[in-house]
Amino acid sequence: MTPATHDTNAAATISSKPSTNAPPAIQADSLSRVVPLGERQLTILDNVSMTVAEGETLAIVGASGSGKTTLLGLLAGLDRPNHGSVAWHGEIVSSLSEDALAKRRQGAIGFVFQSFQLLPALTALENVMLPLELAGANDAQARAQDWLNRVGLGERVDHLPKQLSGGEQQRVAIARAFVASPSIVFADEPTGNLDTDTGAEVVELMFTLNREQGTTLVLVTHDLDLASRCHRMVRLARGRVIA
Amino acid sequence: MNLILRFVRRELRSTEARILVLALALAVASVGAVAMFADRVKMAFANQANVLLGSDAMISGDRPLPDAFTQQALAMGLKITASTRFGSMVSAPAKEGGTAKDSALSDVKAVSSPYPLRGEIEVRGANGERVPLKANVNAGEVFVDERLATRLGIKVGDTIEVGKLTPRVAQVFAEEPEIAGNFLSASPKVLMANADVAASELLGPGSRATYRLQVAGDRAQDFADSIKPKLGPGQRLETVRELRPEVRSTLEKSEQFLGLAASFAVFLAVVAIVLALRRYLKRELDTATLFRTLGAGQRQTLMHFVGQFFVLALIACVLGVAIAFAAQAGLAFAVRGLFASTLPPAGWMPLLKAFATGLVLLLGFAIPPLVALSSTPPVRALRRDMPTASGGGALAVVLGGAAVLSVVMMQSQDLKTGAIFVGGIVVLVGAATLLAVALLWLIRRFVRSGKLAMLGGARSWAYGLANLDRRRLSTALQIACLGLGVMTLITVGFVRTDLFSAWQKSIPADAPNRFLINIQTDQVDALRKLLPTAEGAKPAAFYPMVRGRLIAVNDKTVSAKDYSNEQAKRLVDREFNLSASSTLPPGNKILAGEYFSGPEQGVMSLEDGIAKTLNLTVGDRMTFDVAGDKVEVKVTSLRKVDWDSFKVNFFALVPEATLAPLPKSYITAVHLPTGDNKTLPSVVAAAPNVLVIDVSEIMSRVRSIVNQVASALEFVFAFTLAAGLLTLYTAVIATQDERRYDTALIRTLGGTRSQIRSALIAEFAALGGAAGLLGVLGALALTWALATRVLKIDFSASPTVWIVGFAAATGLTLLAGWLGTRSVLTTPPIQVLREGA
Repeated sequence: MTPATHDTNAAATISSKPSTNAPPAIQADSLSRVVPLGERQLTILDNVSMTVAEGETLAIVGASGSGKTTLLGLLAGLDRPNHGSVAWHGEIVSSLSEDALAKRRQGAIGFVFQSFQLLPALTALENVMLPLELAGANDAQARAQDWLNRVGLGERVDHLPKQLSGGEQQRVAIARAFVASPSIVFADEPTGNLDTDTGAEVVELMFTLNREQGTTLVLVTHDLDLASRCHRMVRLARGRVIA
Repeated sequence: MNLILRFVRRELRSTEARILVLALALAVASVGAVAMFADRVKMAFANQANVLLGSDAMISGDRPLPDAFTQQALAMGLKITASTRFGSMVSAPAKEGGTAKDSALSDVKAVSSPYPLRGEIEVRGANGERVPLKANVNAGEVFVDERLATRLGIKVGDTIEVGKLTPRVAQVFAEEPEIAGNFLSASPKVLMANADVAASELLGPGSRATYRLQVAGDRAQDFADSIKPKLGPGQRLETVRELRPEVRSTLEKSEQFLGLAASFAVFLAVVAIVLALRRYLKRELDTATLFRTLGAGQRQTLMHFVGQFFVLALIACVLGVAIAFAAQAGLAFAVRGLFASTLPPAGWMPLLKAFATGLVLLLGFAIPPLVALSSTPPVRALRRDMPTASGGGALAVVLGGAAVLSVVMMQSQDLKTGAIFVGGIVVLVGAATLLAVALLWLIRRFVRSGKLAMLGGARSWAYGLANLDRRRLSTALQIACLGLGVMTLITVGFVRTDLFSAWQKSIPADAPNRFLINIQTDQVDALRKLLPTAEGAKPAAFYPMVRGRLIAVNDKTVSAKDYSNEQAKRLVDREFNLSASSTLPPGNKILAGEYFSGPEQGVMSLEDGIAKTLNLTVGDRMTFDVAGDKVEVKVTSLRKVDWDSFKVNFFALVPEATLAPLPKSYITAVHLPTGDNKTLPSVVAAAPNVLVIDVSEIMSRVRSIVNQVASALEFVFAFTLAAGLLTLYTAVIATQDERRYDTALIRTLGGTRSQIRSALIAEFAALGGAAGLLGVLGALALTWALATRVLKIDFSASPTVWIVGFAAATGLTLLAGWLGTRSVLTTPPIQVLREGA
């Protein structure tokens, strides 16, 4: 059932050699995020800059409240910084209008969430079809079916999320993240809601697919084992990069 | 589009979407059913009114009518029938061995085929029931009514003498349709063939007969309008517009009852829609977030949701219209006895109206929150707990209000009524919320005071009550919605029972059913002795009557030309009946000025409606021409007359002294029980000139309308009840998710099932009790307003309704709450907690 993951060691060692000429997949400059807290201002992110090369895998780690999810939201264009900018493949996206930004995300960015975020009313297949349909693709069903086969759920296409286990739901979410052939996939604590064994399987799957697709992967985790499988690790503490 | 349809298909599995569709379908169904039914009934009543006339319009004259009228009617494609009506003695042949002939003065109608054009002649079936007769009166035959048959002792197959003819009795009928128009005497009826009139030699030169042309068809009103200016002296035109005011007013009230019940059903459905929508949209927040995260723009997201709601509304509308269709068929069945023939089918307008109702309601309430929903920030995907835009704020209130207003206006076709209804709802919701907050405050004080523990209440009860207080705003709203639902249900229940019987009682069983007119002054005393005593054993009241023509208002000569209003023209053309009464007649109410008392002269009290028609008010002076004498009076009061009462009513009343010197006759009204065959003959013997008007048929028709409307109302009430129960359920499950989560947490922390059960019972009992109290108070105010302001009938509060209402509200809330949260006790807590995460 589980897809082929025989060369697991390769995942960590074989880098997809970021090209030096092309602009980086993600470029963040002096990102700050401040939220009002009563009468005070709370700084969640303070002047964070980073570059993620194309095809690179990056882990953002840190304790709870260190600002790692906020950083992911900014890098993924789901949220806007108070200061600084985010660029994808050389294009500054943080200054785009909400709708223009949404358009850029369409088909180009994939997401894997801690709580899976599958729509409970849709079947596994329909959940995977969703990003393609929103982008107006005609072959949504065939492609979604193909991706469910690849994550080992080819037989479960008609099942609703509540009929699937946590690990299976996360695999559907992974299929959904990759189905539109995005150039970047963001993952927020992808194993946070799973037990150790299931988590390991899901991680395996994600890294395999990422390698096969040559996708840039940015993930937030507090699991150092998981982080160590990435090319690089960024450590946050109180809103600042400390390593 | 595929995506939308797929979502709709999936959404329909959720309780929220189902409630939404069901609530909307109920609103559509109740509007549709009542509109369709009202449409059919209106058409049928128009036909029915025509039945009272036997046609759509009738021209009658003292001499044979010109052929031109017939030609014109035929040219306009109308069905016609000519008839001649006259009084004649009709005799049964002398019995064998005897010499004396039995004879009776009869109301003879010589008719041509087909007759009648509207309605049917009814004969007795095998079990004494009335069945329509499909037969024409042929030459050499007569149809006689039961009264004549009984009086002369004749049956079908016998012959009778009518003038020189001895036709065979072909039918004995119970009733023929034509009972309106001119009042009938109490004479029995005979129908003969028009072709036989000449041979009967009954009508010679100078004979008193009425020659009539009756027409029916789509263009009957056009025909009437075109004939009117061509009428010669002694010729009259009658159309259904001259329907008796008693019947008309009864019909209007019936429609008010039905419309009211339907509006309440819509209102309840709206409450259910709003509540279900809140929950539904909360669920859709995740979808919106995901859409935005996956790259859908705000517009695309909005279009998706609007499309989805549009499809949901369409489904609800189709469902609602289907229910409406079935329901109006049921309604028609409920009132089947009211109409001689089956109801005409409903037109398309009511269906369109119902459909529009559904779309307007759902989209009106849904669009503002959908706009808010579509701007959900995508970052919510990472932070589920972040605050989000809620209901859509002011826009939601304005659009929702506009939606309800437009629906109510479609119902009432009157801006004022619509505004009152919507304004009323806003005030009610506000007042209900305030009251709910106050009740919560009381509960909080009670719980904190520790009295509960002193009373032996369990700790879990305190927890349950504290729960209500914790979700203060949503609980207040919940109580308000529940309370409004309960209020509406009690109100409708009350309308159905108490108000309705009050209305039924407004036509007492012993209401006068015979009017005696043309009584001469010297006959009054004799008749008073012959007639049964009226209510309270007082002798029947005799009112003097003087006929006068209005010739001047405020010293200015008036004629029909001075008025644009048709009715005003007729009033000025015709003679007024002036009457006298030293006291305000029972059932009359002074609206302006004061009723005259004492020795005043030259004053008049005028009926309010006629004063409006003639543009008169207190202080105006009217001059009448009474048999050549001028009588000038000043209007000193305006009266409201209870036309439903079947009592003798007058438009114009003056002091008795004013009428004293004028030539006058008297009028009285009596109730003659069925089977009283003695009074009228003795009256006719004592005063042959007196005309007896029998209104018993009209009264029994009005009574039957009232009774049938009662069954129709029960039917509409079923909608209101369904909408009410749905609202109740929706309101109770509105906070179900939180409650499920809390309960699971308590169970995890070691709470036992029985502890949780009593906490839930305490919570829902308090919720239901508060709502019941609110509902009863609201219903009390509302029914009082309805009874006294709208329907204008006596208000009396029967405690049973209130007690039952309160108990039912508490019980049902408890039941619905229990059913809605029962699963919490059986689901493993971990599952609930995981779902809630």
